[in-house]
Amino acid sequence: MAAVRKEKPTPVEEQRAQFAQYKADVKKRGKSFYPYAMFHDTVMSLVVVTVIIALAAIWKWTSYGPHHDGLHPGLLGPEYNAPADPGTTSFVPRPDWYFYFLFYLLRIFKWPESVFLGTIGVPTICLVLLLLLPFLDRRRTRGLGSRPVALVAAVLVVLSMGVLTFKGATANEALASEVIADVPTWVTKNNLPPEAHPGAVLFATSGCTACHTYLGSGGSNLGAPDLSDIGTRNLGIATQIKHLQNPSSVTPGSPMPSFASLGTERLHQLAIFLEASKGGH
Amino acid sequence: MTTYKRKPTKGELRSQRLEEVVMYPIDWLEERSGLIGGLRYFLFRKVPGDVNWMQTLGSAALTAFLVQAITGVILAMYYTPSAATDPHTGQPVAWLSIVNITDHLTMGWLVRGMHRWGASVFIILMFLHMARVFLFGAYKYPRELNWIVGVLILVMGMMEGFTGYLLPWDQTSYWATVVGINLNGTAPILGPWLAQFLRSGQEISGETLTRFYSLHMLVIPGGIIALITLHLYLVIRLGVTSPPWSKEAAGMEPSEDGHAPLRPGLTQPVPRGISPQGEPGGSE
Repeated sequence: MAAVRKEKPTPVEEQRAQFAQYKADVKKRGKSFYPYAMFHDTVMSLVVVTVIIALAAIWKWTSYGPHHDGLHPGLLGPEYNAPADPGTTSFVPRPDWYFYFLFYLLRIFKWPESVFLGTIGVPTICLVLLLLLPFLDRRRTRGLGSRPVALVAAVLVVLSMGVLTFKGATANEALASEVIADVPTWVTKNNLPPEAHPGAVLFATSGCTACHTYLGSGGSNLGAPDLSDIGTRNLGIATQIKHLQNPSSVTPGSPMPSFASLGTERLHQLAIFLEASKGGH
Repeated sequence: MTTYKRKPTKGELRSQRLEEVVMYPIDWLEERSGLIGGLRYFLFRKVPGDVNWMQTLGSAALTAFLVQAITGVILAMYYTPSAATDPHTGQPVAWLSIVNITDHLTMGWLVRGMHRWGASVFIILMFLHMARVFLFGAYKYPRELNWIVGVLILVMGMMEGFTGYLLPWDQTSYWATVVGINLNGTAPILGPWLAQFLRSGQEISGETLTRFYSLHMLVIPGGIIALITLHLYLVIRLGVTSPPWSKEAAGMEPSEDGHAPLRPGLTQPVPRGISPQGEPGGSE
């Protein structure tokens, strides 16, 4: 058998031999799954269930408001919010926290030309790379010290996902009650004519500022464009209204929801306001 | 049947009969299914001597998934996936059923709270488990397929998060889903089709809610259970990886010249004939 071993084994033979050695090794020197490893697993599982129950308890016991309902936010947020109402547009579209990194990624890309990179492009590429990892890193060595590329890539991925999640969690939430206080500033800075004032109030209170910024107000939660100077593009009142009613009919692929529920009159006022917004001084 | 040199005492006879009664159903099942042997193989299979606490993250994630499954089944008994307006209160039925579970059902707050926060715990544990596998280089030959299965479980877990978020039918969940579906719609070619499918129409409606409910509690969990089964089968077949810094047992780094190192207790090079396959179940 030693004579056969003289030639250098191919990589495939090598990895097979190494795995066979692992199997033989474990059989000879390993320990039984039950009770040794199973004990660790059981302790860890009990910790997990305890943590889940504790979170549920904190959620409930800190969220009972004066009216004894779940709408009052506790340490972990309210137990439920106001019922879904397609007619109300003053909302902050916020996903669960583990999607924050995907939502915040959108701010990096300019709308609308390259936004599909943020929505689909980068996440898809990352997912494909993740799936193909075992085929990209084919060397046998497993210690992190001898895998510098893998180590750097892992640190970068963890850091960027951490930063994006943190940024998403701490992103400005534009409350209508706060944004409305900025309307007089908009009027002076953008020289808004009187007929644009009702539109400005609508803009501040209808949820637009949850995603769009306007002269420094608003959230830009999803990386939606700044609208301070949208009027300089001279899209026209009709196009503005059409866009508000069905955004993707004007900007194909726009993720903006429809604001048709505001009604024609208010959409007209909004359109006048947007057309009058020429970007301040 | 033990043969006694002397006549067995009454007590011996009784314990012998008792043993037969206890063993009979076990032997019956083993003879017809081999399941007992399989269970014994699972429990008494060898793992490397120096597995550590980081390697409990996979089973911890499984536990979190089981919590989701059990609490989800209970929630499904009381939740109504309907966007119709309740004639008495004027509120959507789905939202009312969530309020009812949270505020009025005995222990309902606990079941819903565990489901809501168990989802986050499940996602975190899957990410930590993946980080551990990456750190250990445990995705390498012959475990490439199991890495892929694991990534698919993670993706499906996040799909559970996306579909489950809509079900309370409140403002936050409604508008987050409106935008979320629109974001899916920006994908080239398949995007608009996918958005249309998820919404089941041009606008989010009651049909979207029932569709998400079906995906959330039938389609995706079914897929996850199938993938977890495959994942565990592969873990048992291929064995648990020991830490890369392991000195004690299996999985040592290959030496500089590429040959697997020899160490005390294993002084012979591995014969060529040993196949990398695991033992079939029950052969212990």
